[in-house]
Amino acid sequence: MIFLRRQLPLLITLVAGLLFAAQYYVPHPASEQMLTSATKWLQIIGGFALVLGVTSLFHLHAVKIRRQEAGWGYSLVLYAGMLGTIAVGLWADGKESIEGVMTSFGWVYNYMMVPLQGTMFAILAFFIASAAYRSFRARSREAAVLLVAAVIVMMGRVPLGEYLVPLSGDVASWILNVLNASVRRAILIGVSLGAIALSFKIIFGVERSYLGGGKE
Amino acid sequence: MTFSERMLKIDRRIIFLVIGLCTLLPLLYPVGLPIKISSEVRGVYDHIESLPEQSVFLLSIDFDPASKPELYPQAIALLRHAFRKNLRVITMTLWVSGTGMADQIVTQVAKEMGKEYGTDYAFLGWSPGGQAVIINMGQDLYSAFPSDYGGRPTKELPVLNGVRNLKDVGYMVDLGAGKPGVEEWYVFGKDKYKFELGGGCTGVMAPGLYPLLRSGQINGLIGGLRGAAEYESLIDQKGQAVAGMDAQSATHIAIIVLVIICNVFYLSLRRAARAQGQAG
Repeated sequence: MIFLRRQLPLLITLVAGLLFAAQYYVPHPASEQMLTSATKWLQIIGGFALVLGVTSLFHLHAVKIRRQEAGWGYSLVLYAGMLGTIAVGLWADGKESIEGVMTSFGWVYNYMMVPLQGTMFAILAFFIASAAYRSFRARSREAAVLLVAAVIVMMGRVPLGEYLVPLSGDVASWILNVLNASVRRAILIGVSLGAIALSFKIIFGVERSYLGGGKE
Repeated sequence: MTFSERMLKIDRRIIFLVIGLCTLLPLLYPVGLPIKISSEVRGVYDHIESLPEQSVFLLSIDFDPASKPELYPQAIALLRHAFRKNLRVITMTLWVSGTGMADQIVTQVAKEMGKEYGTDYAFLGWSPGGQAVIINMGQDLYSAFPSDYGGRPTKELPVLNGVRNLKDVGYMVDLGAGKPGVEEWYVFGKDKYKFELGGGCTGVMAPGLYPLLRSGQINGLIGGLRGAAEYESLIDQKGQAVAGMDAQSATHIAIIVLVIICNVFYLSLRRAARAQGQAG
């Protein structure tokens, strides 16, 4: 069984990893066809992942309700919301509108999901302002530099700021285009090199944590 | 407790009230300050302007209702521009929670501009797989989307005539609020299939995309509500974004003032503590 649990997945990872890394550099029709098929598989697996995610969520909240853990009422709300939406969605064939006419699923989407998500996002502005007042302090030289840069960018990104301090727009643009872009690029290069190293470790079986911690 | 200490521990509801008023009042009484156009937004606008009629324009609406205030006006402005230029507009989404909204946006603007579904534009809907969909579209668009959102076979849509994969797209803009978004469209799309790519994103995401912009990996970037307002000004059709800029201006200035006030009190307290320490 070790072969099925350990060696076979490692072998599949090695072959698939090397094959698809090489595929990028081989524009032959057969190689392109292989990529087309593989991405189609990926899409199908992506669809199954959704089912898996929903099942796992249902299971998690069912346990919470059964044991009546703290906040189990919210789990009930989640169940009602999800089952209701699934039922309405199936009834409407998964369409929010048909020929321009809003379905019941579209009603749930437009009058429940859209305002709820919008409200959650809008509340952020209030919390950010409160948090900025409480914690954005020049406690050190580095914090002071960050503070000045933030104030300039905030001024330069709105018409009123540019109107009050005409230079703020250009300075904000310079901070974003030069200082920010160069630092972000350095981080990106570092992250990418790390990702390449990790990919090699996975392909060659050095990193095996993705296989899970079952018995050998 | 000194005055400075009391000010530093001000009730957060007062801050909420200030922000609320700074948002509400400019929306009720707009000022309409002029909006300066940045080179990032002009990059997207100029490229669409340069496209000949009937070129294929692909718009991926990769956001959900949470990012609607910033990205919805961007989508509206881009679609108005593309339809005005008589481009063949193909729209889609990689975010399942944004499908209904994307459909509404496209249908609304197409109706406003008098465009016909299937001939002038199409909405392909959502397909599972995230970045795998991008690669699949690069290989074969009809394999990634065998049918459109309404269930019609994509191969029968006249708007897709001559389009086999992403290589046949004249210009592509991704309006992304996260992953998959602009970065994924570059890494899995443009890099391999060599089409011109522009981006649009929320305000907080924009600084993270500047490296792609500076290296030419994307040819333009519409960042947040400000970017949308710039685009509305460029197409001379002012809408929600321009209207919201006054509120955003007031809120930004209010936060700046709050931060300055808090630092003044913080520094005065620190100085007082230091002076006390020396005296002691």
